[in-house]
Amino acid sequence: MKRLRFGLLAAGVVAMLALVAVACGGDDDGDGGGEGRGNTVQTIKDRGELKCGVKQTQPLFGFREADGTVVGFDIEFCKALAAAVLGDHTDVEYVDASDASTRFELLAEEEIDVLIRTTTITASRDRELAVDFAQTTFYTGQGFAVRTDSGINSTSDMGDAIICVQTGTTTEQNVADHFTDIGLTYDPQGGLSQDVADAFFAGRCDVLTADASDLASRIAVRDDAADYKILPQIISKEPLAPGVRDYDSEWKDVVNWVVHGLIRAEEIGITRANVDQMADNPPNTEVARLLGVPFQGGDVAALGFDSVDAQFIYRAIKAVGNYGEIYDRTIGDNIPRACTLNDLVINNSGCPDGQGGIQYALPYR
Amino acid sequence: MVDMPAQNPQRIVLPPHRERARRPRIVRLREWARRNLFNSRAGTALTIVTAIILGLLIYGVIYFVFVDANWRVITDNRWLLFAGGYPMDQEWRLWFSVGFVFLLIGLTYGTWASLGRRDHLFIVLASGFAILLLAHGGAAIWSTLWYLIAVGLLYAGYAITIRMPREAGPGRTLQQRSVAGLLIAALPIVLIVLLAFGGARPRELEGFVLNLVLAPVGIAGGLVIAIPLALGRASRMKAISWTCTTYIEVVRGAPLLGWLFVALFILDDVIGGELIVRAMVVLAVFTAAYMAEYIRGALQALPGGQSEAAHAVGLNQFQSMQLIVMPQALRISIPPMVGQAISIWKDTTLVTVILPLRELKGNADSAIAQFEFTPDRIEAYVFVAVVFWVVAFIMSRISQRVEGSLGIGER
Repeated sequence: MKRLRFGLLAAGVVAMLALVAVACGGDDDGDGGGEGRGNTVQTIKDRGELKCGVKQTQPLFGFREADGTVVGFDIEFCKALAAAVLGDHTDVEYVDASDASTRFELLAEEEIDVLIRTTTITASRDRELAVDFAQTTFYTGQGFAVRTDSGINSTSDMGDAIICVQTGTTTEQNVADHFTDIGLTYDPQGGLSQDVADAFFAGRCDVLTADASDLASRIAVRDDAADYKILPQIISKEPLAPGVRDYDSEWKDVVNWVVHGLIRAEEIGITRANVDQMADNPPNTEVARLLGVPFQGGDVAALGFDSVDAQFIYRAIKAVGNYGEIYDRTIGDNIPRACTLNDLVINNSGCPDGQGGIQYALPYR
Repeated sequence: MVDMPAQNPQRIVLPPHRERARRPRIVRLREWARRNLFNSRAGTALTIVTAIILGLLIYGVIYFVFVDANWRVITDNRWLLFAGGYPMDQEWRLWFSVGFVFLLIGLTYGTWASLGRRDHLFIVLASGFAILLLAHGGAAIWSTLWYLIAVGLLYAGYAITIRMPREAGPGRTLQQRSVAGLLIAALPIVLIVLLAFGGARPRELEGFVLNLVLAPVGIAGGLVIAIPLALGRASRMKAISWTCTTYIEVVRGAPLLGWLFVALFILDDVIGGELIVRAMVVLAVFTAAYMAEYIRGALQALPGGQSEAAHAVGLNQFQSMQLIVMPQALRISIPPMVGQAISIWKDTTLVTVILPLRELKGNADSAIAQFEFTPDRIEAYVFVAVVFWVVAFIMSRISQRVEGSLGIGER
């Protein structure tokens, strides 16, 4: 029996060693510990790669091409950030943050440097989670889709209507609040986002509610798109913004000013095509400052970013173009832009009363 | 005795059931239907209702598959579904692995079993399915060719080994040992081919490839951990048996979903490393807890006389374990082990739910996020389901063959 015990003990020890060996096998790329918090820019530079948490299942914003590449509106901002910090827009690892329930944990656990996946800024998220939001990249709001022949023109026509709404989201709370406010009752039919859309198009509910941009894209792709319409009424604000970890103002500044820089570039007509020419021969001091080049032989205006050089916005524009170019390339006509929230404020003079964009870059000086 | 009522003296009268079997086929069919489908009014009604439902169902399936469905969501996205972010210029590594595994299947069948008519039919059907998928778009010819070469390797391996003599002898032993060695080394070899010497980074393993890597690692790793665990639990040394029991009960007590959260949030600080490695560790550790119990059950099912007899012929504890007890215990535990393997195969989809890893089902979700394919969700999910079923079916068939050739259930 003594031998038996020894044999078993040996087996146990071997098993433990095997476990430890397996466990230690992968621990050589140095991203295990919690060190480095608070200096994400340096971490990115040391790693030589930006870890961008993106959605891979959202039409237009973050999805995959047939060859496996990750593409979409949100993805362009990852590229812009990689170009700004590292100099090469391909130095990005796209980490899948499709699942809404773990996205903020991925950020907190440093699996990603920045979260760009149609995430709405809200006060409670800002306060309660370890996340800070940078400048909004896309404004949308909760809207309603109905069948064209339904006779519904606003929520006041929806008394006792069956409304399909995604459960467990702010969308569901918004619609409940709204119907309380207007004193009507309705019949909510919950489900996952694609499920409720399917239910609506199958005629199982009268109304589908979701982000207006989401509604637009789901209807536009259908053969019978003309049978549906989106009501002009919007009942909530959904500003979608990049998220970074709390207590890292340097990195948040960089993200912020890359977004502002891309919007500013559109405002003053800097494009991917002409950015080199503008940098060689800047027409005015502001363009020179934005692109980080000297104006008429003077000094380069250094704006006090410790961790990135003065040309980081130039590199971002060079990589992906200005805000309008990003929008046209990825979203384009699928969600019309003119005179909607994502149009530039400076374009608003031609818009009908009560409509117009709110994209507005803060002064870069 | 002479006045037997024989109308035809040439004809030998058989017992009634044999006599009925001699009637024309159409008569027998009618008889069968009358007795089984239309034996009473209720039976007739039931048959008609069932036939209508079945007919509608079959019509529905055929209509969906051949008319309604837009399979371009699959054919256009076959690379995304199959390999996702794996570097496209390293595609040969994937095909090399497929060919290697197919060759191994051929060698294994040739050494220990044989391919029956049903197996050939299944290979033809599965190949048809695969070629339907591959024969589209730019690289269609090459993909199809690679696939056909892989199937050719399967039959080549089979053709070589099936001709070798099965009688026990040094040649047979060498053959069995070589194939078994290859089987054991297969997983490391495939991983090296996929990842080493300029291959992909671990995180670039995606899509179906990720399922195909995770499941075997979970199963093989689980088995390696499970054997000492089962022995440990049966040990009389309290410290060891309690440790092993605690491990088993703790790991089995929480769902895999929960352990994957551990991989994401806790293992990060404990062992760090690539997320995919952490996922592999969790899958192996989880599978081990179940497999250990199956092995323990098998150990207890073995009559005590087995190890006593081993001692009586002078084997020491280790030899008795290695030569007498374990082979029998592992043999008994094959059916539940295969069940666990199939279970873990399907559970690999959970890595997309919890971890930022993209396996087949996750990449199917990405495919239907492509603007033109957003209405084609059902097609994508049906495809994923069929692929999972095919692999699970193969596992089940192979295990039936292994059981058959080991004589399990025939004692």
